[in-house]
Amino acid sequence: MAYGDKNGHFEHLKLPMTWAVMGVVALVCVVAALLFLGDRREEVEASAYANRAGFDTVAGFPDKVLAYPVHKIGDGTNWFDDYFFAVRENRKLKMKVAELTQYRDLYIEEKDINSRYEKLLNLRTEPPVEMVTARSVAVSRGPFANNRLIDAGSNKKIAFGNPVITDQGLVGRIVGVSPDVSRVLMVTDVTSHVPVMILRSDARAMMSGDGGGYPKLDFVRGKDSVKAGDQILSSGDGGVFPRGLPVGEAVKGVDNVWRVRLYSNRSAIDFVKVLLFKDFSQLPNADTILRAPPVSDVLPPPALPAVQPATSSAVSSAAKPSVTVVTSPSVAPAVTKPRPNPAAAGSAESSSAVSGPVTPKPVTAASSSAVAPVTPELKPYVPPATPVTEPSGQN
Amino acid sequence: MKMPGMLGLKKRGFGGTVINRGVRAGMASRIITPWDWILAPALMSVALTIVLATAFQPFGFYLPEPVSPLILAFAWPLIRPSYIAPFIVGALGFFLDFFWGAPLGFWTIGLVLVYGVLALARTYLIGQEWMVLFGLFLLTELIFFGICVLLAFIDTGAVVRLWGVVEQAFATTLMFPFVLILLEKYLHSDVRFQ
Repeated sequence: MAYGDKNGHFEHLKLPMTWAVMGVVALVCVVAALLFLGDRREEVEASAYANRAGFDTVAGFPDKVLAYPVHKIGDGTNWFDDYFFAVRENRKLKMKVAELTQYRDLYIEEKDINSRYEKLLNLRTEPPVEMVTARSVAVSRGPFANNRLIDAGSNKKIAFGNPVITDQGLVGRIVGVSPDVSRVLMVTDVTSHVPVMILRSDARAMMSGDGGGYPKLDFVRGKDSVKAGDQILSSGDGGVFPRGLPVGEAVKGVDNVWRVRLYSNRSAIDFVKVLLFKDFSQLPNADTILRAPPVSDVLPPPALPAVQPATSSAVSSAAKPSVTVVTSPSVAPAVTKPRPNPAAAGSAESSSAVSGPVTPKPVTAASSSAVAPVTPELKPYVPPATPVTEPSGQN
Repeated sequence: MKMPGMLGLKKRGFGGTVINRGVRAGMASRIITPWDWILAPALMSVALTIVLATAFQPFGFYLPEPVSPLILAFAWPLIRPSYIAPFIVGALGFFLDFFWGAPLGFWTIGLVLVYGVLALARTYLIGQEWMVLFGLFLLTELIFFGICVLLAFIDTGAVVRLWGVVEQAFATTLMFPFVLILLEKYLHSDVRFQ
């Protein structure tokens, strides 16, 4: 019997639509849940973001198109501002130049002193870091993800993990790279953790984002290590960020938690600089380290202790035990250094303090070696058998 | 006196039929396709998300960041059950995951759950006053963003800033009139689904 519009084979086969739709919903939910459980965004690794590079490349294009008029209008507005307020701006800048000139002279002087100290101490200074300038084209700023897309990528040697700064301070780090677009994980993102230091007290802390504009300071140790207004810098611990990047200043939140007022929030984030900083923690390859030969195979065997032959000078030096003692640092201290009784150490120190400086006495082993034949027999060191006295009730 | 065949050009159908007294002719003009009520709004939602993500801070303020696909996940099950809509809701969720840099499946789970629950309760919800719908929308938002906070906690081990969640929920609430527009336009527009 044929009736209705369609005369197909499954015309009378009717599924309860609501339940069929729920089946589709369940299917999509299961797929999403599996993807969510398999995602490793919290680890902030290059592989976790690798599958997003293609999307960022595509998404970067409309964002660039949309950002273009915004940037042009912004530049035009700035031009108008500069033109109409040039006199006031000039007056301010002159005052600023006069003030900064003093700082410049001081900086040159301090830099010269610092370079002398570095040479004296034979310090290995860090090489200058190359930078790439880029412009922000898109931003996601919700509580669950704080990211930015910038219009520069691997074509400009940007790599995963490079720190991103503005003229004000630290912004974040690169977590996704495509040829022309990169994704920046902001320091305010909930997955962001930046090791920082407080400039005044040199205390260390971890700055953790929570999706807001004021990241938290975690693991703050020490009394008065943080005060309101303290300057926060990147500490360089862990090697992801270089040391000394300005981050912000400490403020206490309404929840009585130390937070950071970010310098990068002082103005709109438009132009950014990507530091092509090589994360030193990424340089050694874990597999290479595990396959490395043991130290005993690489280094030459340890040298035998040098023993001075019995000469007239050695005999004469036997009267000077201070010289004899230093001939073999590996053996001599074990032989010459008496093992003080720990229980009596305190009293010995106090007695020596009372009786004045103790002159080193020549020990029998050293003096015997001085009169020994030319090729002395080396014997393994056996610690002297000292009676073990376990004081009962000693803490 | 007008005779059949003397009708003006405006009243001629596309098929060239002069007079079509069949019932389906009246219905045909009111048939809406998935493009009308699913694909086109979805594309508009994607476009809105991209536009609002522009790096632009007028007067120092950030642009709002509403979860515009939530409007569709709320309105579509009320309009009618559909096999395509859950897939599109899932696709919109994946788009947000990629575009906003969230973990994969983060937005998808919340959006599809909202769609599923409302599809189940559809018969109780359609035909209500807009005030009731608005209250229901607020409740849906509460559950949706609660799921998001929970998922973020599972993913990162940290609780996100709740005031930021409230801000995003508020921006999404401002888009509620689009729910009413969608319902007004498509709920009774196709008599096949009455």
